[in-house]
Amino acid sequence: MNELYQGEIRITSENEIVIARKVVRDAATALGFGITDVTRIVTTASELTRNIYHYAKSGVVYWREVNHGTDTGLELTFEDQGPGIPDIDKAMEVGFSTGKGMGLGLPGSKRLMDEMTIESKVGIGTTVIVRKWLKK
Amino acid sequence: MASERISVIKLHELLLVTVPPDPGDELISSLQEQVLEAMARHDAKGLVLDISTVQTLDSFFARTVAETVQMVALMGGRTVLAGMRANVAVTATQLGLTIGKTLTALNVDQALDMLNAMSSGACRV
Repeated sequence: MNELYQGEIRITSENEIVIARKVVRDAATALGFGITDVTRIVTTASELTRNIYHYAKSGVVYWREVNHGTDTGLELTFEDQGPGIPDIDKAMEVGFSTGKGMGLGLPGSKRLMDEMTIESKVGIGTTVIVRKWLKK
Repeated sequence: MASERISVIKLHELLLVTVPPDPGDELISSLQEQVLEAMARHDAKGLVLDISTVQTLDSFFARTVAETVQMVALMGGRTVLAGMRANVAVTATQLGLTIGKTLTALNVDQALDMLNAMSSGACRV
């Protein structure tokens, strides 16, 4: 697989939010997503990378091309060893935030992407995986 | 990097504030400070926030803009958000962002016309 379609960004500071946006934008554009889908994907990356930085201070964002039958998509994984989410259902409610955000990050990202899964254990960390499929 | 700075230009009694394409959180936070400081220093009646090159409007950016609009209003000024790209508008809406009563315009020219009309009393908002 081409190097461009798989990679990772280590998040250790606020500056990496900008870097994550740039890298994800390049990957989504290279895969053939249109400008509106690229914006949806990059905005999601921005929200979820900022969550890593704000709640866990550090973590990793992985991106890769995914294939299912003849479908092609982009998968982003946001992984941290932060405090974890005690109540995922509550975290998915619009307007709910334990931080200083607007409470749009998780529910908004779910709307912008085609698929989203969250795994989280309190005291262990959180992994959020999102996918967007190319429209044919 | 010059392109990653916020530019503030005084145009008669108004300010034209231009946001770079992909500002970091620190730059976005400094936007608020720069705008309020420039409003006071120039005795400005209002400002146009030009976001026509902005590629990503996430919830942090949106909250800072909304707060800035509110602060400018408390100082007696009006803000017009100008030039949001179509793809950014689609994404911002689906993300769940709302702009309340913030004035918007398709581009900077129209935003300046709006503010000038308001200050001359030809139009009330």
